[in-house]
Amino acid sequence: MPDTAKKPAPRPSPESVPYWKAAREHRLEIQHCDACGQFWFPPSQNCPHCLESKFTWTPVSGRGRVFSFVTYHRVYHPAFAKEVPYVVALVELDEGPRLLTNIVGVPPQQVACDMPVQVIFDDYNEDVAVPKFMPLKGTT
Amino acid sequence: MIEPSRDLRDVCAIVGAGHSRLGRVPGVSSLDLLVEAMHNAIADAGLKVTDIDGIICRGPDESYAHHQLIGARLGINARFSTTLDNGGASQILGVALATMAIKAGMASTVIIGFGRDSWSRTHSSKEANLRNETRPDSQLAHEFGPEYGFFGAVAAHAFGATRHMHLYGTTRDQFGAIAVAFREHALRNPDAQMKKPLNLAQYHEAAPVVEPFGLLDCSLRSDAAGAVIVTSRERARDLRQPAVPIKGFGSFNNLRGWFADDNMVTTAAKNSGEAAYRMAGVGPADVGTAQIYDCFTYMVLTQLEDYGFCKKGEGGPFVASGALRMGGRLPTNTSGGQLSEAHCEGMLQVVEGARQMRHTYPAERQVAGADIALVSGHGGNQVCHSTLILGRA
Repeated sequence: MPDTAKKPAPRPSPESVPYWKAAREHRLEIQHCDACGQFWFPPSQNCPHCLESKFTWTPVSGRGRVFSFVTYHRVYHPAFAKEVPYVVALVELDEGPRLLTNIVGVPPQQVACDMPVQVIFDDYNEDVAVPKFMPLKGTT
Repeated sequence: MIEPSRDLRDVCAIVGAGHSRLGRVPGVSSLDLLVEAMHNAIADAGLKVTDIDGIICRGPDESYAHHQLIGARLGINARFSTTLDNGGASQILGVALATMAIKAGMASTVIIGFGRDSWSRTHSSKEANLRNETRPDSQLAHEFGPEYGFFGAVAAHAFGATRHMHLYGTTRDQFGAIAVAFREHALRNPDAQMKKPLNLAQYHEAAPVVEPFGLLDCSLRSDAAGAVIVTSRERARDLRQPAVPIKGFGSFNNLRGWFADDNMVTTAAKNSGEAAYRMAGVGPADVGTAQIYDCFTYMVLTQLEDYGFCKKGEGGPFVASGALRMGGRLPTNTSGGQLSEAHCEGMLQVVEGARQMRHTYPAERQVAGADIALVSGHGGNQVCHSTLILGRA
């Protein structure tokens, strides 16, 4: 397969560099506002809850639930030709923010809204690990 | 809530409407397709191009200074001229802005149009066809999407469909009823892109794209343009066509995002519609025909709920009852919509709403007795919405 068959690696914005650095070390860290105490995602300089700019990258539980999901059958990018059908989901973390991700380790037809899930990390290469989610152990 | 101004109700009218060739129109740029539609709208109104002193338009997403390019092609200067940036909600917003500009004395006769070349663009090469993307790379997400294989508008809207099905038991049969109804309407429209009949079994047989959507839940890739002309009702009296009064409009933008809150299930149509109803002094029971932004079947269903034609969660039974067909409770997308006529980012919905309110169609295409048409526009990153309410000419 040509080089284009590699899954596209995330191209971080200046604000998301720490997120991907933590992910590479298999930690899910998101921004926690020092002023109002809320978490937010995707990364940005100012807290969208109170607009303050003092925050701490904070490890989260990695647990959440599937808010909604879709199953790809069509191949839009050659790197995913062997993946179809695959599930792209919006996971709402226990801490509040919602993340776009894949649900893995379970057939697509067994994925459901509100299903409890937990994070795992998929190493795309030496430099990039991508947070994905699987059913929370003990719930299936 | 700020009360919308009633001073704008029935002040302006749509006096001209036109569309270009629709569907597969190879070898023509989106700019020239739009000029074709504008030329048709100007001729329809019985105006000369030099009567136009306002331009509000949009083209493919990457175009810069679009209204300037169109003005140059029309060969005119303009008192009021701009390009909007609300995706499929821009076209109705253009009609609203035209009304405001006319009321403010900034223009007298404004042309609003949109043109695109999406069929040609997505069929220009094998790679373009695979990506099925009309936006340039610079406008696409570079993280939190592509690494997960999340591409295209189909999936973004499909998330809403999944959630709606989960909450309310909505089914693909019900989505299919929408596709089938609009195809019936397209078959009465000689200019529509889709020419073959469609039944529910064929809907289910179509290839899955991004579940829960199959191919026939998705709107068309079209080369298409449309345009309308707005002027004061006073000036409209001297023109060729029955003037279609602009009774109300509204907009709302769920800028926190499609994935935030419950926006994928209760869309910005709810607040946009309430504003438009208040300006127009009407409610959902008064609406005789709806022209709804149908980028995907599910988006029709949820907007019908948000506009109050049925309760939230009851859109499935509502559409399955045959309500959207000619002769039904609310004949919708009566020219075939973006699912079966052509996808022109909501511009053809405005054109069709105006034509229905003229009551000059042959009987098989006319919604008999409709005194109010509701038109919706939806777009951007699924969060911008606009609503137009037209009265009978």
